[in-house]
Amino acid sequence: MKNGFTFFLGLFLALALAWAGIVLGSHAQLGHLAPYFDENEGKAFPERLPGIAARGQLVYQDLGCAACHTQQVRRPDFGSDKARGWGDRQSVARDYVSQPHVQLGESRIGPDLANFGARPLAVDAERLTQYLYDQHGGMPPYRFLFETRKITGERSATALKVPAAVGMEVVPTHRAQALVAYLQSLNNVYEYPEARPVEPAEEKKEGAAK
Amino acid sequence: MTTAPSAATPAEVTEIDASARCSLLLLLGSALAWLVLSGALALVNLVQLNSPSFLAECPVLSFGRTQALQETAFIYGWAANAGLAVALWILGRLGGSPLRSLNWVITGTIFWNVAVTLGLVGIATGDAMAHTWLHLPRYVLPMMLVAYGTIAVSGVLAWTGRRNPMTFAAQWYAVAALFLFPWIFSAAQVMLVFTPERGVLQALVGGWFVQGAWTLWLAPLALTSAYYLVPKVSGRAIPSYDFAALSFWTLLVVGGWTGGRHFIGGPVPAWVASIAGVSCALLLFHYIVVGLNLRAAFSSGGSTVLKFVAFGLGAYVLGGFLDALTAIRGVALVTQFTYFTAAQSQLALNGAFSMMIFGAIYFLVPRITGQAWASSTLIRAHYLTAIIGTTALVAALAVAGWVQGHDLNDPAVTFAVIAGHTKTWLQVATAAQALLVLGNLLLLGHLLKSAVSSLLAPATATFRQPPTMEASVS
Repeated sequence: MKNGFTFFLGLFLALALAWAGIVLGSHAQLGHLAPYFDENEGKAFPERLPGIAARGQLVYQDLGCAACHTQQVRRPDFGSDKARGWGDRQSVARDYVSQPHVQLGESRIGPDLANFGARPLAVDAERLTQYLYDQHGGMPPYRFLFETRKITGERSATALKVPAAVGMEVVPTHRAQALVAYLQSLNNVYEYPEARPVEPAEEKKEGAAK
Repeated sequence: MTTAPSAATPAEVTEIDASARCSLLLLLGSALAWLVLSGALALVNLVQLNSPSFLAECPVLSFGRTQALQETAFIYGWAANAGLAVALWILGRLGGSPLRSLNWVITGTIFWNVAVTLGLVGIATGDAMAHTWLHLPRYVLPMMLVAYGTIAVSGVLAWTGRRNPMTFAAQWYAVAALFLFPWIFSAAQVMLVFTPERGVLQALVGGWFVQGAWTLWLAPLALTSAYYLVPKVSGRAIPSYDFAALSFWTLLVVGGWTGGRHFIGGPVPAWVASIAGVSCALLLFHYIVVGLNLRAAFSSGGSTVLKFVAFGLGAYVLGGFLDALTAIRGVALVTQFTYFTAAQSQLALNGAFSMMIFGAIYFLVPRITGQAWASSTLIRAHYLTAIIGTTALVAALAVAGWVQGHDLNDPAVTFAVIAGHTKTWLQVATAAQALLVLGNLLLLGHLLKSAVSSLLAPATATFRQPPTMEASVS
């Protein structure tokens, strides 16, 4: 290592090799991935996030929801993801191509949310909003996403059914509404060609086990 | 009992040390302040795991934000400042000349810490990015890059201007860390923040960045300290030194590929995880050689410096083996997405990195201040809290993670039940974290005391017996 230039070149090459392998390699494989156009349905999947849901994704990001929730379903023979009702198929790269800020997550202190929008809790926006306000099991309440304000005229349509002082109401802020819209938008059920092959055999296995 | 280490000689204290006093003390002081802050935030985070409504009314300290804050304060506050201080000092010493451009180091340190402070305020107020180890808001990133370069240039000058053309392992690791971090950091900034990749490529770049920041930056900084201190303090040459270079290049070439182990079963190309598994196994060569090279640390002969380094080395090697183990599909099935991963990262950061750097701090501070540490009791107390705290934290999180992983794989077990099963272990982890904060607070106080008294008293007057400067515990 007497030769400084060779040493620095070696350092740089070592770094560049791993970067090229992992980043450029997967870029070559996935960089061109586009939404899949289904002629029968006349639209492409995954669909773009509606504006309010895209704003909600920023709320999800800045509150660090990914500290407890993943958004990636593993294949049925690897873990209990399917049995827990988190998704019938494994997540594939195409599920995420329309998301500006991908939130795969690394920790499951709470359930996976990749297909949360399809679950009964998420279908009802009012119930989901209330859920964010209250504490549930291990999930903290997010009361700072709500404001208590004086009722002027009629009671707000979005007001929560929670105890409040006389003449006051608790309403979700724009951030809470955006977060709810984002959580409702999480639903990757469309079966892309690359997501199919694993399914049939696993269906049988799951059926037999039951 | 306090004993004198065998290797120190009167020639140990030179103008190399004295000239760098202000800049290195600034780096180390800010590093330790960040470490205490990060530990306190980690404590809040662990309390929140046990009682989720703790501080839930406070948007600044929601669970996710607290986690991002403590991680950022640890990596960019503690690890960066302390690692740079140690690397600069060792490069200066091995280079044989006083460090140059020290004013730039001070300027860079101030700007770096201002940027980290702004970054933490940004995270707390809603500007956080959602990438592990890169939660910092976009507006502080370019400033950090420039500040880092300003600090690191002194190390590069010490390397290029060294008197002895021969180089040592400690220098290779230090130069690699100084030189590679800006590349990794800027590549991640461009591909994740300024012109983000599409879809899961974001997660892949994020995984590459975290692994790169560990294998090519923090681990080399810690090894710089170990490769310098072990032969220096033990007074013995490094055994099997011929392998050290091969081990160094193995870490550099193979290490960056191992990040994909977190994507086993994920929505990314399967080869990413497979290559990571193979790379983790190849990297075991590096860990074994490091263990063999530096085994003298384990027979420390009462030197506290070496005791810290020995614990760090043990944690580093154990961490390497755990990485390889959890890269196996069957094991990942249990450990993935659980507290076990948190245990591994604590083992690496608190166990390996911090301990090796603590060893260096205890060795270098008396030399740059020209005064012995004020109290060997404080050093002993810090040592005990650090090893007990780290061991308990890592063990408790690992057990909690293992229990959680088994429970997650059984669909009949609800999340409320899992929380019940892991509660005791998380409480142990909380207590361990509290102990760590206490210990680090002791070190911060001790450093401040030394720094103040050295600035008030002329160094040469009080500095007489180098060999007794390190308090040693046996």
